[in-house]
Amino acid sequence: MDQFIVNIIHRPEMVPEYAEKVTGQGKAEDLGRKALLTESLDIFKTQQEAAHKNGLKTTIQMTYASLFNDEAVEIAKDHHEKYGDEIGLTLLGLPCKEFREKYKTKDFCIWMFDMDMKKSVVNDVFEKFYERFGFYPESTGSYYMDADLINYIKEKYPSVKCAVATCWEEGPKAYHTCNNSWYTLMDGGPWAPWIPSKVNTHAPAANEAEDSGIVAIPHLSRDLLACYDGNGSNFGTHPQNVLRGMLYEPGHIDENGEYVGQQYPYLFNLIDQYLYQARFNNGYAYNMMFVGPGWMNKMGRWEAPYELLKASYEDGCAYYGQLKKDGKLLDMTMSEFADYYREKKHYTEPECALWRDLIYGSNKQLFWYCDPYMRACVNMDQGGAIVDLRPYAAKLEWKVGIGTPHVQECGYPFLIQEKYRAGYFTHYAGEGTVRSAKICHNGEEVDLCLCRTHAHFSEEKGERRLTLDPVDIVFSDMSLKLQTVITFKEGDSSIKIDRNILEMSDPEADVTINEYMVACYGVTEYPEDMTSITLSATSGIKEDSLRYAYKCRENYCPGADHVDAVIPPIKTRVTMECSGREKTGYFKEGYAFSPMFTLGYTGVLKDKEVFSTWLRLARED
Amino acid sequence: MAQAGKGRLNYRCPSCFMRDLDIDMFYDKDRKEYYCIRCQYTGTEEDVLEKNKMARFRYKSMLKRFSMEDFEKFD
Repeated sequence: MDQFIVNIIHRPEMVPEYAEKVTGQGKAEDLGRKALLTESLDIFKTQQEAAHKNGLKTTIQMTYASLFNDEAVEIAKDHHEKYGDEIGLTLLGLPCKEFREKYKTKDFCIWMFDMDMKKSVVNDVFEKFYERFGFYPESTGSYYMDADLINYIKEKYPSVKCAVATCWEEGPKAYHTCNNSWYTLMDGGPWAPWIPSKVNTHAPAANEAEDSGIVAIPHLSRDLLACYDGNGSNFGTHPQNVLRGMLYEPGHIDENGEYVGQQYPYLFNLIDQYLYQARFNNGYAYNMMFVGPGWMNKMGRWEAPYELLKASYEDGCAYYGQLKKDGKLLDMTMSEFADYYREKKHYTEPECALWRDLIYGSNKQLFWYCDPYMRACVNMDQGGAIVDLRPYAAKLEWKVGIGTPHVQECGYPFLIQEKYRAGYFTHYAGEGTVRSAKICHNGEEVDLCLCRTHAHFSEEKGERRLTLDPVDIVFSDMSLKLQTVITFKEGDSSIKIDRNILEMSDPEADVTINEYMVACYGVTEYPEDMTSITLSATSGIKEDSLRYAYKCRENYCPGADHVDAVIPPIKTRVTMECSGREKTGYFKEGYAFSPMFTLGYTGVLKDKEVFSTWLRLARED
Repeated sequence: MAQAGKGRLNYRCPSCFMRDLDIDMFYDKDRKEYYCIRCQYTGTEEDVLEKNKMARFRYKSMLKRFSMEDFEKFD
């Protein structure tokens, strides 16, 4: 029996994000406005009621501001007693009169403070929590929790076992959507719960020594196709985000004053597709819903009137409630989930997601893979090309906050990112990052990126395998049927790709295959300095290498054992190995207008033959 | 002419929305129109609603309810 878990989290945020800025338009800022405080608490009560009436328990994440509010504290205690809700503590919702007066700053994102300030705030809010409740919380969170922050909290308050620790693909795309004013730059993390490593939150721990001591959950469960392409805040298990994306038909107020007729099947499709992921994760799937009070503002939110905002939240809770009644869902508090997760999963066990388009009417399908060594995205609409790759194997130290090299940027660097560094398609010149292959015959060349297909998942002996539907490749004098199989071996930090020729119209013909990976490194849309990168090809004791200098150089090494790129800024070594006829390893340096490098192998294939390559990731320093 | 403010609802610019930008519009009471401070869009409430409908052109499956069997079934 599959287990689909939901965490429903509410925070009594006395000064909701957006509310003061948006609905307070035309008024001078006043965080202590009575009307604002009253409305905020009312929204929290409404959210709690929506969950409870559908038989769902919640995690109440107290904000700093709410710890100063007797009514909020009493509600939390009461609902803990009556409904089994967990009382946790969020590091969101810091802005309030008391915080501003004490810390003299308008900063509100815990990960952006300097380390001394992080410690002061953590001590302050945790001790204030203890003062109000008589115990320390077991769960906490923010939009992002950097590793130093998690380590400090775990050391000082060991009761904490679960935290909201990132928001999936909330990075440059969200920044752009907010007219470059919303600084949540946290691309490159897991989309589903994980155990963060001690050195980098986004990179899962590979063993007990790397274990930060908490189970992390993402802020919302995001659409794994739509969010990768567009604004993450339009496509998640946050009913008002679905309204933000305009993915609904509005309703109307009927004669009884009820808001009726609204339609947003996408929200339920999204939840269901997450449930479906249990098939790829040993019978386990996860969802998280966490809506800040600012999204249920009485003034409405953008085009949506309050009645629709409220109805959408109630509809979301009702759907989870129905799934629970049908025996398809388990509602847990965050700390309960942490215990469940530790019991259910082991360190090297990957998270897998086979995901289809739910919105645009296309047949696009992606596969996401995440383990302690990598996060990878395979795009079946591009013949199984790898279009995103994060080398978690490096467990890159990445300090975040004021006083570090990264005041705001929390993303785990990529080697491949098809949206920020092109992919197959570029404008007239240069290359984009992608891992694909080209099939060549008599001067004609076909890139598998142009062979649309779909994949089927299987698991056997510690290997997660994607078997793609065969594609036809047509040359002017010959055609062939090729099948790609992509294998992720658990704990091996490698991706194996097999290209099988199933049929050839001319059984005596042969084709050349060029397996390639165009890559670079970065966290945003803009290029980085490539000059510290070294490229090499090794055959026996012979090694050819070059230091990157934008000189467009190439090197071919017949029979190469492996070709490598060492990328010091992200402490990563990428290696390609090959098993195939007439193999030649190669590397290509890029140039200023194409600041990439390429690793690859060429070889020859006949009917019924296989050409195999391995892409390996490791830490290098 | 008095300063602009927010309208009855807080409409976003439909033109910017279509390029993945959420920009609140302001309302000019004298001209009875919303306007975007980032791009050149202006329009009445009726026009905003019409353009918001248009913005959904890409959501071909917006009102489709998928079943579990549909997640790996392709046309």
